[in-house]
Amino acid sequence: MLTMALYISNQAGLRYLAGDISGGNARCIAMLEAFQESIKDYSTPPEKALIRDLTAKINCYVSFLIECRPLSISMGNAIRFLKTRIVKLPLTLSESEAKATLLSDIDRFINEKIILADKVIVRHAVTKIRDGDVLLTYGSSSAVEMICLHAHDIGKQFRVVVVDSRPKLEGRLLLHRLVRKGITCTYTHINAVSYIMHEVNRVFLGASSVLSNGTVYSRVGTACVAMVAHQFHVPVLICCEAYKFYERVQLDSICSNELGDPDAISKVPGRKEINYLDDWANRENLQLLNLIYDATPSDYVSMIITDYGMIPPTSVPVIVREYRKEHLWI
Amino acid sequence: MPDTHALVNEFVIKLKKRKVEGSKATAKLTAELLRSVISQQRIPHTNQAVALIDAIKSVGEQLIAANPVERDGDKVTAAKVQGFMRTGGVGLWEEATGGREKEREDGDSFGELAVGNIVRRVLHIIREEDLSLTTAAIGGLSLSAVSDDEDDVEQDGHPVLSAAAVAAAARSTLRPPSLQTLLEDLPHSAAAPPTSSSGGDSDGKSKSADKSSRSRKLKHNVIEAVNELIQDIATCHEQIAEQAVEHIHQNEVILTLGSSITVIEFLCAAKEKKRSFRVFVAEGAPRYQGHVLAKELVARGLQTTVITDSAVFAMISRVNMVIVGAHAVMANGGIIAPVGLNMVALAAQRHAVPFVVLAGIHKLCPLYPHNPEVLLNELKSPSELLDFGEFSDCLDFGSGTGYPLLHVVNPAFDYVPPKLVSLFITDTGGHNASYMYRLIADYYSADDFVVQRRPS
Repeated sequence: MLTMALYISNQAGLRYLAGDISGGNARCIAMLEAFQESIKDYSTPPEKALIRDLTAKINCYVSFLIECRPLSISMGNAIRFLKTRIVKLPLTLSESEAKATLLSDIDRFINEKIILADKVIVRHAVTKIRDGDVLLTYGSSSAVEMICLHAHDIGKQFRVVVVDSRPKLEGRLLLHRLVRKGITCTYTHINAVSYIMHEVNRVFLGASSVLSNGTVYSRVGTACVAMVAHQFHVPVLICCEAYKFYERVQLDSICSNELGDPDAISKVPGRKEINYLDDWANRENLQLLNLIYDATPSDYVSMIITDYGMIPPTSVPVIVREYRKEHLWI
Repeated sequence: MPDTHALVNEFVIKLKKRKVEGSKATAKLTAELLRSVISQQRIPHTNQAVALIDAIKSVGEQLIAANPVERDGDKVTAAKVQGFMRTGGVGLWEEATGGREKEREDGDSFGELAVGNIVRRVLHIIREEDLSLTTAAIGGLSLSAVSDDEDDVEQDGHPVLSAAAVAAAARSTLRPPSLQTLLEDLPHSAAAPPTSSSGGDSDGKSKSADKSSRSRKLKHNVIEAVNELIQDIATCHEQIAEQAVEHIHQNEVILTLGSSITVIEFLCAAKEKKRSFRVFVAEGAPRYQGHVLAKELVARGLQTTVITDSAVFAMISRVNMVIVGAHAVMANGGIIAPVGLNMVALAAQRHAVPFVVLAGIHKLCPLYPHNPEVLLNELKSPSELLDFGEFSDCLDFGSGTGYPLLHVVNPAFDYVPPKLVSLFITDTGGHNASYMYRLIADYYSADDFVVQRRPS
């Protein structure tokens, strides 16, 4: 038991904590793989039923993960999937058979719902890139990165504007990877988005989740970029795998948000002269607020590209409904 | 005059090196410089106003040419233009002359604002003082005419009338258009020479003893008025701050971006009147003036929360009012403001949050913006955004075509269109954006809108 908990912590929890793994898909895959490992090590204690006991164990791991960093909605969906699979296990199966079924279920989830879904999204999205286009993206989304790389591979001529924001500056990493592949890039910060939007044809954004009222829940700043794009009549395309859709609704960005480290705001790496807020903890009037996500209203979104095709934000509840059915069938 | 030349040159160099910070300081220094130019200007007996106006115009042209859009509170004298970062070549942070820049060089509106505003204000002052002296002189003339020879009233009547008409015409060129001036405007106005020559005309008529006293008087009056202007610039934020209580109410939440002394004074004035409220400060990357502002506000005892720029949209739903400073206010009511404010203004509009701009009257610019995002902007050094060291490892991956793969854009200003501005608070009170054109007519004369003469 202890070894399993340790494994989870090493594999996923502590790496989340350190920020090693970020991005909805990466976190979700890391978590599922950790679960796989713990299921492999699992043996039902005497006088206990596998279904009950394993569910309890999973709950215990999940609460540990939440301690490290609040779960993303994609992770919540994956956990729900795993739990339904455990509950639905036929009682007749032996322990080893049950474990094998669960392991293959998790594998299928990772392959079908994440890896394959991304491939489908890339195939759809590439049709929306024309030669000479200027694409804009914000932060670092794995789906958007794959789209850019694929479009570049098939010989499309385009330019990418990478908009970045403090404190994470994830856009720099994306910029590194795109420039390395030979894609022409423009880099700027989120304040300058109104300046750069004049030259942009398409905005591609990733999402942490899409809620069933069409609200896109994503990295903080996405709403600003979508708003400015909307103002300039530039289409906003959200790339999001359907397993991240969520039936909850939300209108505002502050509820159920995640708080980042306030120190990240006061410290500006590479700019030592900016140290005005270094002693912020000692000043009771001063607070630093580091939100992680925000909610983009659905009217800023032109289209959501998912593994089920390209849909308007109003169709999200349909996908959520159908997807839930499918879960039961797997 | 060698003295003024030296002063002007010194100021021009300061402007070029960007040693003058902020539009307020620039405005004050410009006004002081122009005052000393006026006081040292030798004035002929006739056409004094013309001589003064010409002197100020020539100095003004030099200053405007020297001064790109002044920068706010930033000492780095880095490359002002778009830097191209080459990943495959030797030239790394290069100044490049892209198409945009060419457009900017052609546009003559670039590089005026505070300096140009003050030059125009001083020109307007000279015209006004001259006019008031002229009308006074005419009044005196007609009075004396009436008292001296009452029998010749009919004969004298004509020249007095025409002089009055000339004065009225002159006034109509200075005064903003109104129904009264339109009606006053007689057919003479078309043929009427501008103010200055009318001054000359009446000079010729007046007695020679009067002349010297008048010439001194014009100069004296103008310097008095310029002193008043300097005083106004110095005290403008106090006058703006006085209005704070009318706008900030108990328990409100205020959002601001950028660092403006006017905003600090405004917020603190409300705080001193025992209003308790909370201020959200967006940090304003990559210049991080929000950090400076937050430190100042906290030192003055305000409840302050610093947020990232990207969280503006998320937080604006909890905000009652956005209060910001502007770099310049254009004639259509649009503002040139620290970069990021257009985004804030859009978010505020979306959530029906009032977007209030604080601006001293010296920031009012009588020009209508054309493509302001480019022409009235300034692109700063890319090093504020990306450290070259981080990208040195990409060098081997350069395309080898000589075309830069990576392009870093770091503009300093944003243009916020008038429809996004809910209210302007100036030292003369609150105004709607649509009223700016009228304020301009109060402070500037239409003849001075274009200070720079294009070489023909």
